[in-house]
Amino acid sequence: MVEVVADRVAPEQKKSGALDRGVVERLAGDDPEWLATRRMQALRIYEATPMPSTQLEEWRYTDLSRKLCLDKLHSPVAEALPDDPQAWPERLRSTMAEDHDAVGHLVLVDGSVVHTNIGAHLSSRGVVLTSLRRAATEHPTLLEKYLATQAIPPEDGKLQALNAMLWTDGVLLYVPPGVRLEHPVRVTRWYSETGAAFFSRTLIVADSASKLAYVDEALSDDFDQETLTSQAVEVFASDGAHVQYVSAQRIGRGAFCHAAQRILLGRDATLDMLNVSLGASTTRVDLNARLLGSGADSNLLGLYFGDGDQHFDHNTSQDHIAPAARSDLLYKGALDDSSRAVFRGVIRVAEGAQQTDAYQTNRNLILSDNARADALPKLEIHADDVKCSHGATVGQLDEESLFYLMSRGLTRAQAERLVVVGFLGMVLQRLPLGGVVEKVTRVIEEKLRLGAHA
Amino acid sequence: MPKNEVIERLDLDRYKYDFRTEDMPVFRTEPGLSEDVVRAISRYKEEPDWMLEFRLKAYGLYMKKPMPEWGADLSQLGDVLDQIYYYVRPQDRMKHSWQDVPDNIKDTFQKLGIPEAEQKVLAGVGAQYESEMVYHSLKKEWESKGVIFDSIEDGLKKHPELFRDHFATVVPPADNKFAALNSAVWSGGSFVYIPKGVHLETPLQAYFRVNQERMGQFERTLIIADEGSRAHYIEGCTAPVYSTESFHSGVIEIVVAKDARFRYTTIQNWSRNMYNLVTQRALVRDGATMEWLDGNLGSKATMKYPSCYLVGEGAHGSILSIAYASNGQHQDTGGKVVHAAPRTTSTIVSKSISRGTGRASYRGLCKVYEGSTASRSNVECDALLINETARTDTYPYIEIGERSANVGHEATVSKIGEEQLFYLMSRGMSEDEAMAMIVRGFIEPIAKELPLEYAVELNRLIELEMEGSVG
Repeated sequence: MVEVVADRVAPEQKKSGALDRGVVERLAGDDPEWLATRRMQALRIYEATPMPSTQLEEWRYTDLSRKLCLDKLHSPVAEALPDDPQAWPERLRSTMAEDHDAVGHLVLVDGSVVHTNIGAHLSSRGVVLTSLRRAATEHPTLLEKYLATQAIPPEDGKLQALNAMLWTDGVLLYVPPGVRLEHPVRVTRWYSETGAAFFSRTLIVADSASKLAYVDEALSDDFDQETLTSQAVEVFASDGAHVQYVSAQRIGRGAFCHAAQRILLGRDATLDMLNVSLGASTTRVDLNARLLGSGADSNLLGLYFGDGDQHFDHNTSQDHIAPAARSDLLYKGALDDSSRAVFRGVIRVAEGAQQTDAYQTNRNLILSDNARADALPKLEIHADDVKCSHGATVGQLDEESLFYLMSRGLTRAQAERLVVVGFLGMVLQRLPLGGVVEKVTRVIEEKLRLGAHA
Repeated sequence: MPKNEVIERLDLDRYKYDFRTEDMPVFRTEPGLSEDVVRAISRYKEEPDWMLEFRLKAYGLYMKKPMPEWGADLSQLGDVLDQIYYYVRPQDRMKHSWQDVPDNIKDTFQKLGIPEAEQKVLAGVGAQYESEMVYHSLKKEWESKGVIFDSIEDGLKKHPELFRDHFATVVPPADNKFAALNSAVWSGGSFVYIPKGVHLETPLQAYFRVNQERMGQFERTLIIADEGSRAHYIEGCTAPVYSTESFHSGVIEIVVAKDARFRYTTIQNWSRNMYNLVTQRALVRDGATMEWLDGNLGSKATMKYPSCYLVGEGAHGSILSIAYASNGQHQDTGGKVVHAAPRTTSTIVSKSISRGTGRASYRGLCKVYEGSTASRSNVECDALLINETARTDTYPYIEIGERSANVGHEATVSKIGEEQLFYLMSRGMSEDEAMAMIVRGFIEPIAKELPLEYAVELNRLIELEMEGSVG
C-alpha cells in the first residue's frame, strides 16, 4: 500500500505544462466555441481509449510503452520567434534558401506559425495559405466541415485523439475550383525545445479540378531529452483535383515522430505522394488513402534510411471504396547499424469496388549485421473483378553490382554508396518536386559516409 | 454470362462423403469437457502417470488461454465445444487385419476405397474412426527393416523411450489454445519411425473419419524420420454432414533428422459443418528436407499453418498449399517457415479459389533469425475469385533479422478473365471446357505434385472436385 501512495504524484508536484486536462482547457479557452467543444470531446475520447500495446496488431512491432513516455513530456513554453529570418536558426534559413520555384511559404517554429506568404495573384483568386490557429476564426466554415471530422477524427486512435485535443497550430491550404498552382507551396518546420510535445495539424482542401503541390520539411538538431512531434495531415482531393504531397522528415535523434495522414479522393482525383523518413529516433507513419470516387488514382511513395538505433514503422492502407479506381504504393528502405524498419501495408477492396487496380510493394536493403526489417503486406479483397498484387523483399547489397562497379575502378565503399543511392533514388525520381531530390540524396550520402561505408 | 451455371457444372461443391454408419460405440464420455473427461481418457488408455499429468497440465493451460480473435470466426465455437463428445471409443481394440474390423466400420472404409488402395499402392495404412485408430497395418518388407507405423497409443506402450524423447517437443502444449486442448484430450493418430537410411518407396496413409454427430476428434501424430531416411505420409479426412457442428483439432509433430527427407500430404475434405483447427510442425535438422503439401477443400472453418523450423545448417522447408472456399466456408490457411540456422532455404506456394460467399485467407510467417547467414526464402500467393461475393485476404508476416538473407513475397489476386475465356472459346472450346481449363491451369502447379499415380479415391479429390464433370 505504501508503495502505491508513493508512486502517485501529487498535483502540485507535477511539472507545469504537463500533458493533462489543464493544457487542453487552456487551449480551449482561446478557441471559438465550436472548436473548444471538439477539443473537450477529443479529451473524453482520449481518456476512454487505452494506450495501444503490442497486443494490438497495428502496434505489434512498435512498443509504445518503451518508446514514448507521455508523462515526461511538457507542452512547449518557449516564446514564439518573430517573423524575421534574421532571428531564425541558421539551419532553418539555409534549408529554405534552397527552395526555388515556390508559390508560397509557411514556416513553423516549435509548432507555431511564424511566417506566411502566398503569391498575390493566387490569394486574389481565393487560394488560402494560413496558420490553422488564425483559420479557426477566419475560415470557421471550412474548418468546421473538414478539421478532424471526415479524415482524422479523434475516434481514430489514442494518438489521434491526443493530437485533436492538444494541437496548437498548423497549416490550412485551400485551392478553389479550377485553380491550378504552377509551383509547390513550401512548408518548413523547425523544432528546438527539448522534452516538449508538439502537436500540429495540416488541412489541405483541393476543390474540384484544382491542382496543387505541397512540400513539407521538418528538421531539428538532436534532442537531449525525449521529444514528441505529432502531426495530423488531412487531405481532401475533390472530383478531378490533382494533389502532389511531399513530406521530408529530418528531425534529430531523441524525437518520437508520429504522423497520421489520410487522403480522401473523389471522382477522377489524382494523388502523388512521397513520404521521406530519415530522422528521429522513432518514426511512426499511419497513412490511409481512401478512393471514394471512380477513376481516382493514387501513387503512394515512401523512402526511409535508418542508422544508429533508429526505428521506423510505416503503417499504410489503400481503401478502394469506389469501383474503377487505381492505387499503387512503393516503399523502399535501407537499414544500417542496428536500425529497424517495420512496413505494414494493406489493400482493402470493398464489396462492389469492381475494376480495382491496386498494387503494393515494399523493398528493404539490409546493410549491417544488426539491422532488421519486418514486412507485412496484406490484401483484403471483397470483389472479384480486380487486379491486385503485392510484393515485399528483404535483401542485401547485390554482390554482382558491387563487383561490376569495383571492376570499373570504384572502391568497395564508393560502390556500396552508389548502389544504395541508386536503390532509393528511384523512388525520389518518381516525384521530383523542387529541390527535394537533392536535399534527400545529400542526407542519405551523409548517413552512408558516417556509417561503415565510408 | 451465366457464370454461376458454368461453375455449378464444374461440380466443385459436390460432397460425396455424406453417408452415415449406424453404430453404437463401446464407450464414450459425457458431452463437454472437464477434468473427469481428461482422466477418463487416460484411464481407458491405461496410460503411465506422466501422461496423465501431462494431460492435466495441458487442460489447465487450455482453460486459461483466450479464444483467438484473429483468423476464422470462432464466436460460435464456445457453444460447440460445450456440446461435443471428446472421446468416443468405437471398438474394443485396434485390429491389424481388415477381416477383424467390425462390419459397419469396415463398410465405411470400403466405401472410401481404403483397403483396395492399401493392396495396390501403399506401404501401410492406418484408419481412425471417431477417437481411435481401428486399423493399422504395415507391409512386412518395411516392418523387417525396422519401420514403425502404429497407432500413437501403441507407440507409447511399445516404444516408451523413443516416444517420450520426442513427444510434445515440437509442439508444446503452451503453443496455442488448441494445441493445449489436443494435449489434454488427444486420442488416436499415428506413431511413425523411419530408421536411418531407410527409403520408403510407397507412401504411408492415415485416414480420419468422423461418423457420429457432435463429435470432437483430437488425433495426435508423432513422426521421427531418422538420418538419411525418406518417406511420404498422407492423411485424408471426411465426415457426414449433420445439422450440428463438429470439431477436429489435431497436432502433428515431425522430427526430420540430418539429411532425411519427409513429405506430409493432407487432403482435408471434412464436411462443411466441421471446425478444423490443426497445429502441424516439423523440426528440420542439418541438410534435411521437409515438404508439406496441404489441400484444404472441406470444413466450415479451417485454421491451419503447417510449419518448418529449420534448425540445422542447410535445412530446406517447402510448403505447398491449396485452398478452396465455397459458400459459408472460411479457409484460413498458409504456412510458417522459421530460419534458425545458416544456409537454410524455404519456399511457400499458396493457391486459393473463393466462390459464392466463401473466403480464403493466406496467413504466413517467414522469420529469419540473426546468424542464419545466406538463407533464402520465397513466398508466392495467388488467389482466384469466382463471384463478386467471394472474399480473399493475404496476411504474410516477414521478419528478417539477418543481413545476408534474401526474402521475397509476392501475391496476386485475379478473376477468371473474360479475355482468357474468349480466347479459348475462339479456339473451339465450349464455355465449360474453357472455364475448367483456366481453373485447372491455376491449380496445376500444386495438382501435379500430388501423388496421383495411385488410384486412391481421396488422393484424387482435387482432380475430382476441380475437374469432375466437365468435358
